[in-house]
Order: sequence, then structure tokens, then C-alpha cells
Amino acid sequence: MSLKDVLSPFSAWKRTLEKPFTIKKPITEREGEDRYRGFHVNDIEKCIGCGTCEEICQNEAIDMVESYPITANKGDSGLRPQIDYGRCCWCALCVDVCPTGSLGMSNDYIWVTPNPDEWVFKPGIDEKEWKDDDKGYRRTEEAWLLDPEQEPMPVLEPEVRKNTFKEMAKGYQVTMALEEASRCLECGICIEACPTHMDIPEYIRAIRENRLEDGLKILYDTNPFSESCGRVCTARCQDVCVLGHNGEPIAIRWLKRYITDNTYEKRNEILGIGKPLPESDKKIVIIGGGPSGLTAAFYLRNYGYQITIYEKHDKLGGMLRYGIPEYRLPKEVLDREIKTILDTGVEVKYKVEVGKDVSLKELQETYDAVFISVGAQKGTEMPIEGMDTLGVLIGVDFLDRIAEGERPDLGEKVIVVGGGNTAMDVCRSSVRLGAKEVQVLYRRTEQEMPANDEEIEEAKEEGVKFEFLTSPVKISRKGDKLQVECIRMKLGEPDSSGRRRPVAIEGSNYVIEADTCVMAIGQKVDSEMAQQANIKTTRWGTFDIDPTTLQTNVKNVFAGGDCGFGPDDAIRAIADGKKAAYFINKFLTKKGEPLID
Amino acid sequence: MEDILNRLDQKFYVQARYVQRPNLAFVTLKKNVAVQAITYLRDVEGFRHLVMISAVDYIEQNMFQLTYILHNYQLHSDIAVRVELDRENPVMDSLHHLWAAAQVYQREIKEMFGIDFPGSPRVDEPMILEGWDNIPPMRKEFDTKKYSEETYFPREGRASCDPVKIMEKKLYRVEAEVKYEIKRVVRDNRNKSADAN
Amino acid sequence: MKSKELSETIEINQQTPTKTILNPWQPFWAEQKEFDLKSGKYLKIWHGPQHPGVTGNMALELTLQGDVVVDCKTHVGYLHRGFEKLMERRKFIQCFPIVCRICVPEPDYNEYLFAAAVEELAGIQVPERGQWIRTLVLEMIRLASLTMGLGGQAGAFGLVPVGQWGVAHRDFILDLFEELTGGRIYHMYIIPGGVRQDFPDDEFPHRVELVLQKLEKLILDIEKLMFNNAVFKARTKGLGKIPAEWVELFGITGTNARAAGVPIDVRKDNPYLVYEQLDFEMILGSASDVYERSLLRKEEILNSINLIRQIFKKMPNKGEVRIKLPNVLHWKVPAGETYVRAETSRGEMGYYMVTDGSEYPRRVHVRGASYTHAMALLEQLAVGVSIADVAGLMVSLQTCPPEIER
Repeated sequence: MSLKDVLSPFSAWKRTLEKPFTIKKPITEREGEDRYRGFHVNDIEKCIGCGTCEEICQNEAIDMVESYPITANKGDSGLRPQIDYGRCCWCALCVDVCPTGSLGMSNDYIWVTPNPDEWVFKPGIDEKEWKDDDKGYRRTEEAWLLDPEQEPMPVLEPEVRKNTFKEMAKGYQVTMALEEASRCLECGICIEACPTHMDIPEYIRAIRENRLEDGLKILYDTNPFSESCGRVCTARCQDVCVLGHNGEPIAIRWLKRYITDNTYEKRNEILGIGKPLPESDKKIVIIGGGPSGLTAAFYLRNYGYQITIYEKHDKLGGMLRYGIPEYRLPKEVLDREIKTILDTGVEVKYKVEVGKDVSLKELQETYDAVFISVGAQKGTEMPIEGMDTLGVLIGVDFLDRIAEGERPDLGEKVIVVGGGNTAMDVCRSSVRLGAKEVQVLYRRTEQEMPANDEEIEEAKEEGVKFEFLTSPVKISRKGDKLQVECIRMKLGEPDSSGRRRPVAIEGSNYVIEADTCVMAIGQKVDSEMAQQANIKTTRWGTFDIDPTTLQTNVKNVFAGGDCGFGPDDAIRAIADGKKAAYFINKFLTKKGEPLID
Repeated sequence: MEDILNRLDQKFYVQARYVQRPNLAFVTLKKNVAVQAITYLRDVEGFRHLVMISAVDYIEQNMFQLTYILHNYQLHSDIAVRVELDRENPVMDSLHHLWAAAQVYQREIKEMFGIDFPGSPRVDEPMILEGWDNIPPMRKEFDTKKYSEETYFPREGRASCDPVKIMEKKLYRVEAEVKYEIKRVVRDNRNKSADAN
Repeated sequence: MKSKELSETIEINQQTPTKTILNPWQPFWAEQKEFDLKSGKYLKIWHGPQHPGVTGNMALELTLQGDVVVDCKTHVGYLHRGFEKLMERRKFIQCFPIVCRICVPEPDYNEYLFAAAVEELAGIQVPERGQWIRTLVLEMIRLASLTMGLGGQAGAFGLVPVGQWGVAHRDFILDLFEELTGGRIYHMYIIPGGVRQDFPDDEFPHRVELVLQKLEKLILDIEKLMFNNAVFKARTKGLGKIPAEWVELFGITGTNARAAGVPIDVRKDNPYLVYEQLDFEMILGSASDVYERSLLRKEEILNSINLIRQIFKKMPNKGEVRIKLPNVLHWKVPAGETYVRAETSRGEMGYYMVTDGSEYPRRVHVRGASYTHAMALLEQLAVGVSIADVAGLMVSLQTCPPEIER
């Protein structure tokens, strides 16, 4: 032992003069760092109550609870997370996974209460000091645990598809479907948005687990047109998909198509179609073999009723066949899908037009129940001069002719008027028919266009030109060309639908020269048959029905689809068909009782 | 590495081998030669460091897998010896005489999996779970969630809602009823036709 | 002097067992000693499970003769939370926040090893900058752990100021962690695929440097107060000697092995992350007693400081820090088995992971660095030690009960 070793420890005394390392109480001046993971904050406006935070929480600290004043709404379950801080471990996985980015953590860490119940609260709703803190841990793009990008659908190149009616989208390969299916969070927010409320998370899970047969069964539980919907559905589910809030939604439609594409050969076998169904002696007639009527037929057959369909055309499918061009929905796909429905044992009378060839009154009296699903087949004409000029066509009629196999010569330049999906179908069909220049005229701007963004994008890729804020006022003919006189518009005050109303600008008229002009501005219902059986109609020409039960004023007559609610998409019609099946069954089994409580 | 495995195979017959990385190989050996093989690896091939002993429960195959990871300080490589044991009668020869560390691992495995190592010192003494009266907890059939639900009580007043169910209730009650009824009918028919086959 | 006499008895006591290897099936470590407690010569006491310093909650069942330990049995189980079992019912991402709790002073090694094992089985390549940041985090936490450990070591022998300095300086490092990761003790930062976030700003390395300088200054003080201290030297020199040949028998790793002159260090032997690109020497000792191990750990602190400086100098300035995982809620890792290891301040820590292609790991086994140190080794080393020195001996072995019982 040296003397040095005895003396050297005394050097520690010099530290007594130093400022202490500790912080004085109360600890106010020391704020948590910017990234500190303190108590949660939640932007309740952004949050949609999908419950992904609850799903990922390994400690079961999060409950989804109803939280006044938030209520359930389209794309929002109305639930908000409530966190039990006796269980929370501050790992922030809930923040990192949050699809909307509403959840975060404040940098507050000094708070205590002796009451254990106060440790369970709803961030963003219950009043806490840190409720509006913007410091603290937030999810960054790089830390996000979800994949915001959709698996791209392989499609024909614009240059190729411009010349052919061949189906444009090629369908997912196995790896793509698995990749896309694995993005799903299974929150189920989408189920509400789907008019027929398909079990979307369930069939996506079936894809992920490679149980395509189960997937097909799940599809047919709610929708016998899954194969067509997998191609042409407007996919309202995708509009509310949680992943769409900060990225691209799940390609729900393409995943549905993936199931049907890979199972159609064995479809009847998987679904047990063709096997005996329960038999009832009650007979039901369905007028119009479109998506709505065929769906009703399919489910009513499952109830055991005897079904007869009256169809005006010589083929079934309605707007799916006559309104949607081949490049989006190949006819063979539609045919095989309809065949599955008919294989349940449905009788069809083709080329019979109810109201003309046979009276509705007669049907209503001979059958136990009638379901009218004639759709909205008549194209709306514009109230302008020159609508009867040669070369002016109506959108739906035009598509009808193409569906029948006609390939009319449209000339060099085609003008399409309208901004809906029909207008897109018309303009893109025109491109395929060989028109050199196709121009779409729409009276509002691109933002207000009701057509799907995807359709607009693809039309642009195919060379379709868009002219916004313009509307034709007069059409005349000069030599072999059409003179379409247009007027410029501007956007005025919003109307009842919330879209800004277009207002004409005086004196801004100009003329476009064209070979053909197609009006695709809307459809209306042909409900002339209604009076034969004293069925009330509305002033828009649709059947006057109870919106819940689809029943008309004549008790055993139901109506749905476009002819019940006005023109809408296929999935809405399918939903109506299913609903009609349910209420017709209820009507027939519980005679006299009210259909709903 | 390959050479070592080949030599090991010649002497003890390696049932299966798998090279995970250039410096980590897994070999499956028969139970009766495992201790000899491990002694050989230690004394002849220079795998002097017993990294750990662990067990894996393959309940589906009615089997426990013991894994002995051995490390060679010269080659900086590991060989993991796997031994498959019958789940009904899990007994393995002890190697407490080779490494002092082994007895602790064996004690833990006895306690957590119920795999016996006769002769290993204090192997029957509880190590971590004093007063445990259930099946060995690391076995797959032991359900921690169930155990905790039976043993402890949850905090009162906690309940969670399913977004799907709440939206059905709040936004489309009738349509949900339609959906479930139709689904039931369709599935009944499907099941009947499947039964008929 | 009394302390000298004591160290002589220690040597005698430690020499005896090594000489009695006669029966190969009954080596000295397997011997069960019996003591006649009724004779009045012996006293059995429980040391713990309250922890005397930084040893963690474990209990030693000591049989004493006078104040000298003649038999020691270690008991753990006071911190058992069943992590390995819990992981089997959690998705891979859900395991990530619980693994860090397997070791309080050095949680990041668990995060890293878990991530490394999953990444190896799932075939994920971590971006380069992510690897550098991981290395930085691991070295910083080694620094924090060693600083506190050194303080604990001094505290166990009555040098409380060093303990306070150690804990205070560890807190400066924890401040840095708070900035970088958002958490102080459990960082939950090294996530499968990389690290959660990049540096908070460009000034971060500078702030780290300031703390490193503080630590360097502290080490100078500690040298004066602790290593050049007659009392400390008298109490620790010769205490808890680990013979070099025990290293393999007991599976001793890390500083405990290196203090016995056995050159093993995972960072050198099986370089992981970016250690191959870092320039450092393995620090070796020879005396293998408590003093030597403390000295070695002080050197390790300086080494870590050096490594952190190197990392800042050598790491790429820009780049991804993590790669996107597939949707973590449905993430399936292909079936496989692996063992990954890293050098913690206590020794070799490793994760043995078995997957079966599902969303959950089949089995995760954590090789705690102090598993054998605290169990098999401590039982042998404690024999012949004065009861007053047992706590210091435990600290010098760096026992960490949570990683023993997991």
C-alpha cells in the first residue's frame, strides 16, 4: 500500500463545489424531448375508429369505445381508442401502425393521480393537459409500419388497348394477390360502404391463407355477381379503405377478381350449385334480367321459390351486358357468371317485354310476388336544338349497339358530352372504334366529375382529350360535319348535392366541328308498365317504393335497382336484388305481418 | 465446417444436417449417441464452449427437440446438436460432467419442459417456479392466457367494441339482418348439398 | 493485516475444489456439500432477494462459518415474467416491445438480437446507415451500463460517491437516448428491418461528444477515488479469482473471461453489424480478480467512447435507416432456426430462434450473458468469501436476474 493510494481518494472532495446533477422539484423546466413517448394524443377528427391500434397492442391496453360526440358515419365507426395506462408500455406501435396518422404521443411525462380509474382514458376526448400538445412522438413516413402502395394491376399498354376491345386488365398473379392481400388490416370499415355489405376482410384473409374455395363461398354469400364486380365495380369500399387516408387503398376489387379468376372452372362444384334446393310451390316473377333481377332470382331460388324471369333482350345481364364495354367486362365472363345463377334452376322468358307483350296486371295476379328490376335504360336527351341531327347519338344506345356486336364508323372526330362513367365508356369505346380524336365535354371541372378517377386516368392515357366548363347549346350540320356550338361555363354556388352549380358565361359561345356527337348525360327509367297494375311512380319516373323493404303500394309487387332508386351502379342493384329476395320471402312466409318492426 | 460434419457423420451418423450460415450448422443426432458426439466435438474438434441448451416443443409431432449449441473459439463457428425426444417419456442423458454450466440449463429445462436429466445435480429442485403446481409452463399445451384469466381477475369496466358490429348496429341494421339471413340460407343449402355427397 | 489473511483463506478455499477431480461423473461443481447446521458452527442466511446495489433481485442461500461463506446456492425467480413463453403467442412485431425488458441496464442488445434473428430467418437486409446507428446505440448502452456497473462496484465496497457519479452520468446518456429514441430506459428503437428513426438533427453527434467528454473527465476522477484507493485495493485484490481453465467449463464470457486472460470477444471473433470496420483492440487482463475486472471495465468504457467517436466519423451521412416490412399484422417468417450473438458488457448474449412459417415464433431462447456467471459460477466463487464482500463479488460478475429467468 502506497501513501499515494491513501491520499488520492481525497481528490473527490473537489466535486463538492460543483453544481449538482439533479433537477430541483417541481420538475418544470425540463420538458420531454421532441420524440418522447409520453401520454397519447389523438386527433379525433382524423381518427376513424378502425381499431388497428387495438389490434397491434400486445398488452391489450387499448379498447375501442363509443365516444360522444363522435358517431358512426360512412368510413368512420364512431369508436375511439381508450387506453389503460396500467397496461400501456409506451412502445408506440399503435402510433407507428395508425393508418390515418391521428394517434400520437405527447412529450408529457409528469402526471400522477391516486385514483386508478383516471388512468384509463380516451386520448383526444377526455380533457387532459397535453390534449393539444404538438410535441412528442409522432409517426413519420419512414416509421410507418404499413405499406401505402397498391400492387399495380398489369394492364395492356395504351397503344395496344386503343385498338382492341380485348380486356384491358390482366388480373393479379399469385404473388401480387398475396402481396396485396397482406396489406389488409381487417378493420372492416369497408363493409358498411359496400351496398351489399360483402365480407371483405374475410375473403381477403382467405386469399392470404390460400383458401380460394372458401373465398368464393364468402363472395357468393352476399353477391352472385362477384366475378363481374371484380372487374367493373365502382368499389365504394375502396373509397373508405383506411389505407386510403395516407396512401392507396387496398385493391379490393382486383382481389375479388383474383378469387373468381382462379375458381371459375370449378365454381358450381365448390358452391354446390345444381344440387337440389328446397322446393316451395310459390311462384315469383322477376321483370328484367339485369344484376338486380338475377341476384334476386339467385337468392329466392335458395329460399326454394320457383322463379321466372322476363327479359326484353335475347340475353340476360342488363346494363352489365349492354352498358359496359367488352374491354372492361368480357362477355364470356358475364355469360359464365349468369350461367351459374341460372344453374340453380331459374326459368327465363327471353324477348318478352312486360307492358307490351304481356301485361303487368296479369303477372301480378298469376304470381305470388313480382320483382320489377327493369333498370334505367333510356338515355337522357339534352334539351337543346338539333338533338335529332344525323350523327348525334345517345350514350346508352351507342353502348348497346356495340354490345350487340356492331362496330359503327364514327368518323375522325368524336365529341362525348357528360362526365360520368357512361361518358368514359363511350369515349374509350370510340377510341377503340378508330376515332382519331375524341373529346369529352363536361360542364364542371375535373374535380366534380362523377366518373372514377381511374377511368379518367386511363381515358387520358388512351388519348382522350377533356374540355371542362363547357356545354353544348346547339347542334347543326354543315356538309358532312357536325357543328357543335358550345358555351363556356363557370362554377357558381353549391347546389343541394354539394357540387358547385355551373353557370353559363354570356357571349362565350364557340363552335367545335365533329363527325359524331354522343350524349352521355344520364339515364332515366321507363316505368310505363306501372299504370297497368296501378303502381305508383315518382315524378322522376322511378317506382314509388318503401326505401327499406322495396315494396310498392301493391303489396306483392317489389321494385329495386335503377328503376327503384334512379340510375346508380351495379353493386347497388345487386344489393337491392338481395334485399328484395329477403323481403319477398318475408312477405310470403309471414302473410299480413309488417315487413319491418 | 463441412469436414467436421462429415467426420461427425462417420462416427455418429448425422440424421440430418443444415448449414444456416457458414459459421452455424445444425445437426440432428440420435439420442443414444448425442452425449458421446458432444464429448467428441468438445474434446477432439475443439468446440469447447457450451453456448446454451434449449428445448423446443413440437407438440404436433409429439416430440421435444433439445438443442445444444457448441462454439469453437478457434474457428469461431457453432454447431448446434439437435436431439429429438419422445414427448411421452422425455428423458435425456445429462452432460453436467462436461460443463459446469450444463447443470443449470438442465435444471431449467426440467422445470420448464419436464424433460428429465437423471444424475444431473439438483435437477429436481425448482429453479424459477417455486410452488408451481401446473404442467411445465413452456410446453405448448400450457395456455398462458387461460391460466392468467383463471388465476387473476381483469380490471373492471373494460370492454371493447368491434367496428364492424357497431357500424352494423348504428348504420345499417336492416341490411345487416338481410345479409345474415341470406347468408344463413345460402350456407344451409350449401352444407346440405355437401352432406348429400 | 486482516484483509491479507482473508485473501489467503480465499486462495486455499479455491484451490481445494480443483484438486478433487477424481470421479469424472462427479466433478467438483457437482458436489453437494452437507453441513451440520445443528452443530452451532454454521449459520445459514439469505442474502437477497432485495438487491444490494446493482445486482438485481436474486437470493443467495449462504451457509456461513463465522463471516466466511462455506456454501452458496443461488435462487432466482423473483423477476420471472415468462418472456420466452409470451413471445410464442405474440406476432413478431409484438415481440419487439417486450424483449427489451429482458435486461434493464442493456435493453438494446435484446432488441438488436431479436431483430437480427428475425431478419436472418426472414432474409431481410438492413440498410447500411441503419446498421451504423444500431452499432452506435449498442455502444452507447454499453457505456451506460458499464458506467452504472462501475459505480455499483464501488458502491458495493462503500465508495458511494462513485455510485452516484456513475448513475448520474448514465442519466446523461439516457438523455441522449431520450432524444434519439423517445425512451429513457426501454428504447424500443431497434426494430426488425432497421431502426425506428434517424437522428433527431445534425447536431446530435455533437451533443453525444459533450457527454463523452464528461465521461472521460469522470474516469479520471474514478481512477483517483476508486482504483488508487488503498481500501478498495485491499478489499478487491485477490477476491473472486476465476481460474482461466474455468472459462470453458463454466461458459464464462465477456469481461469476466477477458480479465482471466482468455481472449474472447464476440465483436472480434464473430463480428456483427459494422464492428469489422471499427478499429479497436481486445482488452485483456490476467489477475482475474474483482479489481482486475473493474479495471478492465473502466478500460472498456474508454474503448466504447473511442468506438462511438469512430462510428460518427465513419458512418454514412445519408441513407435509409430501415426497410419496409410486409404488413406486420400478417407477417409470416419462413420456417427455420438460428442463433445470433452479440457482446454485451456482461458477456455473450444470444438469441436462439425457431420459426415454423407462421405469424408467431415457435420458440425463442435467450442466452442471458450472466446466466452461467450468476448461477453455476457464483456458487463456486462465493465459497471462502467474507459475507461483506459477497455483494461486491456479485456486482463484479455483473449478475442480471431478468436475463437469467426471462
